[in-house]
Formats: sequence, C-alpha cells, structure tokens
Amino acid sequence: MADAKDILGLPKVAVGSGGDKRRSSKTAAEKKPDGVSREVYALIGGLPPVMPALDQSSLKKKKAADSAKKVAWKWRVFTSSARADNLQLSHWERVVDGVEPSGDYAFAKYNKAVDVVRYTEEEYAKYLNNSSWSKEETDQLFDFCEQFDLRFIIIADRMPTSRTVEELKERYYSAARAIVLSRTGPAEDVTDHPLVKETYSIQYETERKKALGVLLSQSRQKEREDAEILAEAKRITEARLATKKAEEAELLSKSATATTTTTEATNKSPTTPARPPSPAQTAQAGPSIAVTVPSAPVVSGSKTGTSPAAFGPRPPRVYLRSAYLGQVVQVSTTQAGVRATKRVEQLLEEHGCRPKVKCPTKRVCEEHMELRRELLALLQLEKQVTWKENEVSVLRENPYADLSTPSTPKRAHRGSDHERVLTRATAVGAETDSFSGERVGKRDHKRKAPARFSEAPPSPHQKRSRKMKASDM
Amino acid sequence: MYGGDEVSAIVLDLGSHSCKAGYAGEDAPKAVLPSWVGSIDAQYLPPEPEQPTKMAIDGENNAVADSKTGKSADAAAKKPTRKLYTGVQAMGYRRDYMEVIPALKDGLINDWEVVESIWDHTLKDRLMIDPKEHPMLLAEPSFNTAQHREKVVELMFEKYQIPALFLAKNAVLTSFASGRATSLVVDCGGGSTTVAAVHDGYVLQKAIVRSPIGGEFLTDCMLKTLESRGITMRPRYSFKRKEIRPGEFELQVLDFPNTTESYKLYMQRAVAADVKESVCRVPDVLFEESAYANIPTTPYELPDGQTIEVGADRFKIPDLMFNPSLVQTVPGMEKFAETGSSVRGLPQMVIESINKCDVDIRRELFSSILLAGGTAAMQQIKERLEKDLIEEAPQAARVKVLASGNAIERRFSVWIGGSILASLGSFQQMWLSKSEYEEHGASYVHRKCP
Repeated sequence: MADAKDILGLPKVAVGSGGDKRRSSKTAAEKKPDGVSREVYALIGGLPPVMPALDQSSLKKKKAADSAKKVAWKWRVFTSSARADNLQLSHWERVVDGVEPSGDYAFAKYNKAVDVVRYTEEEYAKYLNNSSWSKEETDQLFDFCEQFDLRFIIIADRMPTSRTVEELKERYYSAARAIVLSRTGPAEDVTDHPLVKETYSIQYETERKKALGVLLSQSRQKEREDAEILAEAKRITEARLATKKAEEAELLSKSATATTTTTEATNKSPTTPARPPSPAQTAQAGPSIAVTVPSAPVVSGSKTGTSPAAFGPRPPRVYLRSAYLGQVVQVSTTQAGVRATKRVEQLLEEHGCRPKVKCPTKRVCEEHMELRRELLALLQLEKQVTWKENEVSVLRENPYADLSTPSTPKRAHRGSDHERVLTRATAVGAETDSFSGERVGKRDHKRKAPARFSEAPPSPHQKRSRKMKASDM
Repeated sequence: MYGGDEVSAIVLDLGSHSCKAGYAGEDAPKAVLPSWVGSIDAQYLPPEPEQPTKMAIDGENNAVADSKTGKSADAAAKKPTRKLYTGVQAMGYRRDYMEVIPALKDGLINDWEVVESIWDHTLKDRLMIDPKEHPMLLAEPSFNTAQHREKVVELMFEKYQIPALFLAKNAVLTSFASGRATSLVVDCGGGSTTVAAVHDGYVLQKAIVRSPIGGEFLTDCMLKTLESRGITMRPRYSFKRKEIRPGEFELQVLDFPNTTESYKLYMQRAVAADVKESVCRVPDVLFEESAYANIPTTPYELPDGQTIEVGADRFKIPDLMFNPSLVQTVPGMEKFAETGSSVRGLPQMVIESINKCDVDIRRELFSSILLAGGTAAMQQIKERLEKDLIEEAPQAARVKVLASGNAIERRFSVWIGGSILASLGSFQQMWLSKSEYEEHGASYVHRKCP
C-alpha cells in the first residue's frame, strides 16, 4: 500500500491515522534499511521467513561406518589353479583393513573342459579296430578332440590327413560309444548317456550337407536367370498341353469313323488328312464293301481295350466314371453331328438299350462307347451306300451323265435300288441282318438324308466318279 | 570390468607397414613406427676407434642399446656388419648410403636382425619398459609357419627374458575386437590382403585366401600415375622452401648424390601415400574410363608447394582392389600385368574363402564379414564391398559387412583385439610361461597357442 501511494504521489502517512501506522510499523521486528530494496534484502537473508525452508535433520550425515574400514590397492603376485605350472603374474588387488584376499584366482572356475572318452591300448585292440582308420590317426583324432573341445570343424581343418567332418564325427562317436558300452558293468544302466542314446547317422548328415551346399551355391544372378528359364518352360509346357488336348479330341472323332489306321500311340499325326482317304478307300473298294464292313467291327474291336485317356478330353486323376462317360459322349456328339447322335440313341432305345447307361462300370462304359461308335459307323456306311446307289442309278440311266451336278434321283428308282442294296448287304454280318427289316420301313423318314448327301462336297464326289470311270475302263 | 584383470601385459603387432605396441587394456597403441629400418653397410661407416671396455659392457648387458645402433645379440665380440637405424626420427633423417630394408616379406618375417632392432627400439625407447616384468602378447599373420613361430618364441624368451608369451593370429584378434567368436575377417593391410575365416576363436587355415594387392601396391600405382602425368614427386629432403615475402615461398632444390635409390623411393612413397589417403575414394560401380572422363578434379598441395589436380585416378586406384586387371592401364606397372590377371578382386576372394569352409557355418560367415587394416579405412569401401557381395552371394544367405566407423579403429583393430584378449581374466591361464618353455621346448607353442 505504501508503494501504491508512492506511485500516486500521495502522502505516505495520512493525517489523523498516522499514529496507528507508526505503531504498526514499529512493531515489526526489523525494518528494511534504507538504500537497499526489499527484494535484495530478502536475498541476503534479511527478514526471516515465517517457516524454515529446509529441515536440517534430512541433510547428509557423514557415514561413520566407512571410516572404520581402510581400503588400499596393492600390486600383488598371484597364481591360478587353472595353470599346470606355477607362473606368477601380478595384478592390483583390493586390500581391506590390511587383510589380503585369499583363495584361488577368481577366474579359475571358468576353466571348463569337455570330458572326452579316452581308451587304453587293450580297449583299442578289442573294440576299435577299423579298416579305414589307423591307430595313429585315431589317436591323433582323440588328441585333437581334447585340445579343441570337440569342435569338429576346426579339427577337420587341422588334421594332417584330409577327412571330412562327417567322417571324423562318425569315427569319434562310434568309438566313444563302443568304449562306453564296454565299460559299463552289469549293474549300471547307461542308456541315458548321450553317447548311447543318440547315434550319429553319417548318411543323413552327408545328404543334408549336400542339399545345403546346393542351396547356398547359387548366386543371386543365377537364381534370377533360373527363375526366368522356369517361367519360359512353364509357358511352353502349357502351350504343348493345349495342342495335345486338341489332338486328342480329334483322335476321338477319328476313331468313331471306320479307319484302318494303327494304334492310338501313332495317332498323334494329324488326323484330318486321314479322314478324306478313309472314305476314299471305302469308296474304292466298291465291290469289297462287304469286306470293309466286317473289318470295321474288327478294327473297332481292337480299340476296346484302349484306355479312356486316348479318347476324349484328358480325365482328371480322380473322376466319376458316369461324368466321364458323359464327357466322352459329348465329344462324339460334337464330332458326328447332333442328328446322327439322335439317330444312334433312337436305335438304342428301339432295341431296348438305354442311351444313358445305368451302372457305369469300366466294362459297361467301354461296351457302351463301342456300341455307339459302331452305330455311328453303321449310319455313315448306310449313307455312303445310298449315295453310291444313287450314282449307280444315275449312271445306268445315262452313262455320260455328269455326276458333279447334283441331281435328285427319283423316288421309285431309289426304292428299287435300295432293295437291291439290301439284298447285297444281307449277305454280310449279323448286325446288318438285324437291321435290314427296320431299314425298309424307315426309308420314308430318311429321304432327306441321301439327297443332302449327294449335295454334300462335290469335289470328293467328283474324285470318286473319276476313279470309278477309270476302274471301269 | 567384470571379465577383466589387468596384469600389465604388452601387446606387440608387427605388420608389413607399421609396428604397433602398447599396454593391454588401453584402446590404442602407444607406439606406432614403420616396419622398415635404415641400414648403412659397414664399408660406408666412419671407422670407429677401438673401445674394448665399452664393447664388454655392451656384450654383458644386452638390455642396454643405443637408439641409433642395434647390434645383434652376440655381436659383442665382432664388429657389426651394418648399422641399423630404427624409428620414425631415425628414418626421417637422410643419411648417405642408407638403404631401407623391410622387416617383413610376403607377410612373413624375413630378416631377423631387423626385427630384433625394431623390437628393441619399441620396447626400450618408445615404451620404456623392462621386458622381464611384462607378459607379451604377439600378433602373428594367420598363415604363419611353424618355424617362424618357434623362432619368435626362442627370440623372445632368450633375448628378452619375458615371463610369459602368447602368439595370437591376426584374424582372431580382429574378430575379438568386434566381440565375435565367428566371423570372416578381410584384412586389407599394407603389404597384402588376407581373407580368413574364424570359427569359435580359431582360424580355419584351409580357408585363407591371400592377394598381393595391399596399401603399398596402391601407393606405388599412385606414384607411377602422378609421375606419368609429369609431376615430379620431390621427397622431403630434396628441397627447401624459403620465405622471400610473407606468404610466398621460393623452392630451392637440394642435391644429395649419395642418397640411395631405396631411400628416395621410400620418401616418395610417403608423399604418395598421403595423397592416396586424402584424395582417393572407392567408386560405387566398376571403374570405366569413359564414365569418369568428365569428373571434377580435387586439388592437393604437395610438400614442395606445387598443387596437383587429381581426377579420375581418385577412383581408379582404389578400384584395383576390386578389379585387379585394371593394373594394366596404369602406366609403369606393366610388370604386374601377369600377376594382375591371376589375382582376383576382393568380393571373389571373400566368396572363395567362404566356399572353402564347412557348409554349416557359411551362413554365419556371410552375415559377419569384418573389415580391418589401414587400406580398409578408405572411403566407401564398406558400401562397395557389401553391394558387390550381395550380387555374387547366394540368395539364401544374408550378407552383412561390418566395419567400425572410426578410421583409427580399423587401422589398429588387430592391436585392439590383442589388448582386449590380454586383459581378460579367463585368458590368464593360457599364457606360455618361461618354465613351460624351458621344460618342453619351443615346439610346445603349437600346443599352447593353436
């Protein structure tokens, strides 16, 4: 308040209240001396604080206990029990109260060694004789084992004879094991001894090291190159696989048509050029149609024993035969045409066979597929026969007629021609006999087919007609 | 120190470039001196007056030796054939007819008299100790032969009468300096480069790979390159610089016709070595002339005042370690061309050494490759080596090159390892003591110091 009044310039002591003020100021124990500001006076310990700041009892007291001990450092000579000789070295030691430290060298207890099994001469002669290891070598090995604490990599490095680490280990472990076993008395049980419990397998170790060596021998550059090569190889195999599948699919359709080709192993050759020659062959052997028909079942018969992998799509490792059968049927459908397959199935039904097989065992499936193939072959042969008959009839009417122009033969002629063909065909195999009756009845349905067949590729037709003429002449 | 117990052992490391000595337990050697001595043949020495008494005293007390003359142990009776001058000061002073003789040749001790002279000088003049009171730990090359070891043991016990001795291999000491028991040590020293594998504290001797390319080889290349560019490398004794005006110096060439060629070369090499150490850097990729044709040059001032500009050579010289066939392009070094083709670069040496080891430890070796030696203190050598090794090494292994950041530590890593080893408490049982030597003979060292 006095400061504020100072600042304002008001008189310090008010008139009338001056007496109180004087009293109160005098009751203060000390008064701040003039010339020294209040803060500075407080710094040098002027007006005492009300409460003491520091508790004197909490300050550090001189430790009386320390002064009782007298510590000195002395340069003393020492020996160590870990040494065989009595070498005396000196070092600084802490001497307390004149009492010098006694006892062994503090670091002597760290002198540990591996207890290597050592043998005597008789034991060697009795148990350890080995053709590939001489006694001196075995002795040296055991010496090194003791010196280097069984660090076999270093032992292999220092041995004068070049032996691999595995050979050294094997010799040591087998020898030590033999000694330990021979030394145990009848009462002792030594099966817990680590040498007896685990045997060293040199074969396994050598293999393992070889594999590790291969793993660690490839540098990063080579590994990058290897990865590239592998990617390339993968692409090539996939491409090959795709072409192989395409070939196999064609193979299946080729086997459905009557061919005289050899086994499916050689069927890798392109099948498309094989197909035109086969109808050509059948066309050429005009009078020998009878021969080809029996040969067809023979050929198809030879193919029953083939594995499903040669025909149709490549099956997976484990598959349901019924599903696979469906696949194979699908393939043959696409190859032969939907109409032909429907005909086949119709025929099957009429004769009491189910188009869809009830129990698809391997044998049943094979027989079924064979049946289908034969039916298809039959249908195709029928077509060809009618076609040829048409040609014959046309030529008979008009020997100089141009067979290349498609001409629809008259119905009446067709009917008679068919009769004649039938009589010829009936001389052939059992299957055709059974079908002959129905075929006549079904002529009406199939009128379209022969006509269409004659419209079909003119160039092979032309070729056939030419050949016929040549052979006629 | 928990595992430490100082017995005031001395660690002595005689390398092909310099000799390092000091107390065990310290972190740097106290005495570092060059591994060469100057020697003046007897015919050039001024005739000495006959002093039989002095000779007799010298003969009895072998411990007393003048710093300038080093006589062999039993030379008291006969006149010395040559006078040897050891130490930095003695060698720095030019003397007529003084030849410079190296102590080591191909990494192994060649001239025993020279070695004795160096040890004398080190122990008595530099460290000023009495060998009788201190056990000695000596560092030896990893490929040291049995005869050399026995000779060293004999010399130490007979001449210096030390109480205990231990011979440790350089690679093992470097490995211990970094705290590892298993590692692959790449020691790029002065005379040669050695790659050695250490497993569990023992060197695998069948996996040591050596190359003659070391710091001195690189210095020679630098010298030849600078000379071919027309720069005269004047050794320090051959000129005097007088200050004619403040800041300006005038060069005065002095001529000393009786200076030997070897001394001149020695002094020139000293200058070239300094150029190499200050200016050279290892390139990041294989050196090609075309790539570095337009690189900015670095200036360097030679002791005689001329300033030279070093350009692509900065990178070419260190790349000799990685690509030794470059030596053919260095002018004046054609005689090394044949050796250059058979010598492999540093990364190939590392891979070769590791492949000679057992398969089980290869991974561990790849992940702890240590760099040591004076030449390894060059800039960027660690990064370049790591990069090259990752390229060449198998993918299954993780490659890690370790080097201490401090150039001093890299240079003295062998000595530091010795200092650590000799001050360990559990090492004190491994010394070869005098009594053991007297009982079993010098060949006992092979048993005690494997």
